[in-house]
Amino acid sequence: MSSTLRVDKKDLDQLVSALVSRYRVFGPVELDGATLLREVKTADGLALEARALDGPAKAAFFPQTETLLYYDNGTAEPPPGKDKPTAIIGLRPCDARSLLMLDKVFSTGKYRDIPWQRRQDDNLVIGLGCGAPLETCFCNWLGSGPFDPQGSDVMLTDIGDAYIAESCTDKGERFLKTAFKSQVQRPSQADLDKAGEVRSRAQQSLGAAVDVSGVKPALASLLDSPLWDEVALECLSCAACAYLCPTCHCFDVQDETIPGTKQGRRVRIWDSCMSALFTKEASGHNPRGAAKDRMRQRVMHKFSYFVESYGETACVGCGRCIRLCPVNLDIRDVLKKVVSRQYTAVRAEAKGQKSKVKGQNAG
Amino acid sequence: MNEWEPKIIAFLCNWCSYAGADLAGVSRIQYPPNVRVVRVPCSGRVNPVFVLKSLENGFDGVLVSGCHPGDCHYISGNYVARRKFAVLKAALEFMGVEPGRVHFSWVSAGEGEKFAQVVGRVTEEVKKLGPATRLVKGADAGRRVQVR
Amino acid sequence: MMQRTAESGQQLREAARKLLKDKKVGLVVGYAKGTTPRRAKPAVVKDEKDADRLIFDETCGISLLPHLRKALRAAAAGTKAGIVAKGCDGRALVQYIVEGQLKRDDVVIIGVSCAGVVSPRHAGEKDAQELDEACRRCRYSVAPVYDVLVDGPARTDTGGHGPGTAEEYAAVEEFEKRPAAERWAWFERELAKCIRCYACRNACPMCYCDECFVDQTNPLWLGKSAERPDTTIFHIVRALHTAGRCVDCGACERACPLGVRLSLLNQRIAKEVKERFGYTVGLNLDAKPALATYDEDDRQEFIL
Repeated sequence: MSSTLRVDKKDLDQLVSALVSRYRVFGPVELDGATLLREVKTADGLALEARALDGPAKAAFFPQTETLLYYDNGTAEPPPGKDKPTAIIGLRPCDARSLLMLDKVFSTGKYRDIPWQRRQDDNLVIGLGCGAPLETCFCNWLGSGPFDPQGSDVMLTDIGDAYIAESCTDKGERFLKTAFKSQVQRPSQADLDKAGEVRSRAQQSLGAAVDVSGVKPALASLLDSPLWDEVALECLSCAACAYLCPTCHCFDVQDETIPGTKQGRRVRIWDSCMSALFTKEASGHNPRGAAKDRMRQRVMHKFSYFVESYGETACVGCGRCIRLCPVNLDIRDVLKKVVSRQYTAVRAEAKGQKSKVKGQNAG
Repeated sequence: MNEWEPKIIAFLCNWCSYAGADLAGVSRIQYPPNVRVVRVPCSGRVNPVFVLKSLENGFDGVLVSGCHPGDCHYISGNYVARRKFAVLKAALEFMGVEPGRVHFSWVSAGEGEKFAQVVGRVTEEVKKLGPATRLVKGADAGRRVQVR
Repeated sequence: MMQRTAESGQQLREAARKLLKDKKVGLVVGYAKGTTPRRAKPAVVKDEKDADRLIFDETCGISLLPHLRKALRAAAAGTKAGIVAKGCDGRALVQYIVEGQLKRDDVVIIGVSCAGVVSPRHAGEKDAQELDEACRRCRYSVAPVYDVLVDGPARTDTGGHGPGTAEEYAAVEEFEKRPAAERWAWFERELAKCIRCYACRNACPMCYCDECFVDQTNPLWLGKSAERPDTTIFHIVRALHTAGRCVDCGACERACPLGVRLSLLNQRIAKEVKERFGYTVGLNLDAKPALATYDEDDRQEFIL
């Protein structure tokens, strides 16, 4: 049984207070031109009106920089734990879905990533449906949509002066019933109609979904294709796409020792397969020193290997990589080229060619 | 009762400033003990990263000292260094790092007295500014890096 | 006021086609229309017919030099390249030649008169007409050295003066009026957004080192996390490494996915280099890079 409430925008602070009393709350915050997920204590500064989040949801559970432990001359202690569970308000369906996907990586039954677990246990997601998808959104290609409830416990629909809040899970239901007591309003029929309108308009504004079921099989025949050289020529080999991607989860672990001491910390940081040094080995050999190999790897990991390992595509169609890539490299374009089968010719020197280049700008 | 004493790192070129510091020592000239010396072959060898990392890792002040223009053992090391330091100083000051934290000097091998004066002046300026807080590492979990 | 032309890129495409047809070059690096509104992509054209893709307008904000380097490295030895060069990229090309990264004869520079570009962060906004901040103070519409000059969005008879009407260092001077603590707080706030993706570094025409200091682990100059002060120091050192080399094209800031205003420091350094050493980068093929040379009479008022 699901509840539907009407939350006036002017009462948003009450919703946020209800959350803050029980959770560490994250929400979109406007930071000098970028909208990023940050911890919030009140509705002030919460940028729910922002059209899109520039940083990924994973940052709330898997931050860019995470201290795993502090060490001192052979002893180690973990960092202090968080005493409250985490809640996110204003998460778009694409980002919300990505959390479910990352659960598969960080919590596989036998192996549970401790930092992820500390935050993920008993979290709450108040999703915000997309009334105005961006030109770069393509969630519908991946079987999702602007009001997909997957990953959200409560889904908010913006109807202008208020939000219609619908529970999507038992947890969400309990929250709406018990935590958020004040000013509970039932939405009127007009409210519900408006919400319906917003949703269908949003669905229509998304371009037609392109069938990507052919991507995985097509990729199998493109291992030595010149397609990757062509696409990689545009790429700067920075880490923008990977870091902003909701589903990318590669990381590096570094020890930072205070010079001259045996004290320090072990820190986990985001890493990106697009970076030339990602696969550099201690011997100096780098199996993916050429940009075309890294480009191929990125696409294949998301659209082939992850599908094999976890049963779904590691892409939620948020379009952040398209929007924020410095050189406008468009994954939609790449996918279309993959299924077009125009690139089946094998590269002339596919075998045995060593990359001539090295370093951060290699490729 | 425990008055804070600044920790200052000094990069001294082997041929002039380091020798000048040594002369100050043998001449028993008194100067503040806050300076930790790092000997470099030439002031031109000093990478601006050294200055930044010193501030990051617990030093409150940095001094870089080399030969007077025209006297560089490697002919032009200090000339190029002079340009680098000018740019570094402008950059740091622009960002709001206190100018009194980073100093440059020319001290020759025979200027023991000058070395002592330079150290005295730098120590005084850094003392007035208090412990370095900008660019310092270790703020997380309340740990401030301690330089021993 | 910058005079704009109705130029549609016709001359540019003609020039590229001719170069490829006459085999003067093996490839042309330029811009093609992007996939989202008001964005352009880098394009490497190797065939005359493909030259139809080339455009030049206010969406052409990236620096093409990283792509020129990649294209030349991937090509057979001895391949010459054509490159579409707006004013800033043109100056960067001069600096490449000065720094020995390119021989003058290796490139055919197709100068195009630029009237400024828009920042991709605002590219999605329908009414965004405003030029990127870097362009608003730009003085160099046309490459100072070129082999071919084609009409672009700006008239070429403006003496090459850029679209900039703002004072060159107005932002720097305004900023300097603030007290030190405020300036520091501003930088901390901006750099709090930085996620160390290195889009700025990789987009910069001047950052061409095979091994960047920030990627070294032995010695580990900087921690790789996005925390300060490591992140702050990364930006300071990158600005110092590009001192006297940065052409103030703004590509770094436009590349940043989170809009960190990191080029203000570069501007301050460029101002210092100009005032102290009388050097403006990228105007003269015979120049010596400012930080690789010296004058015995350089000012040293800051030295004890």
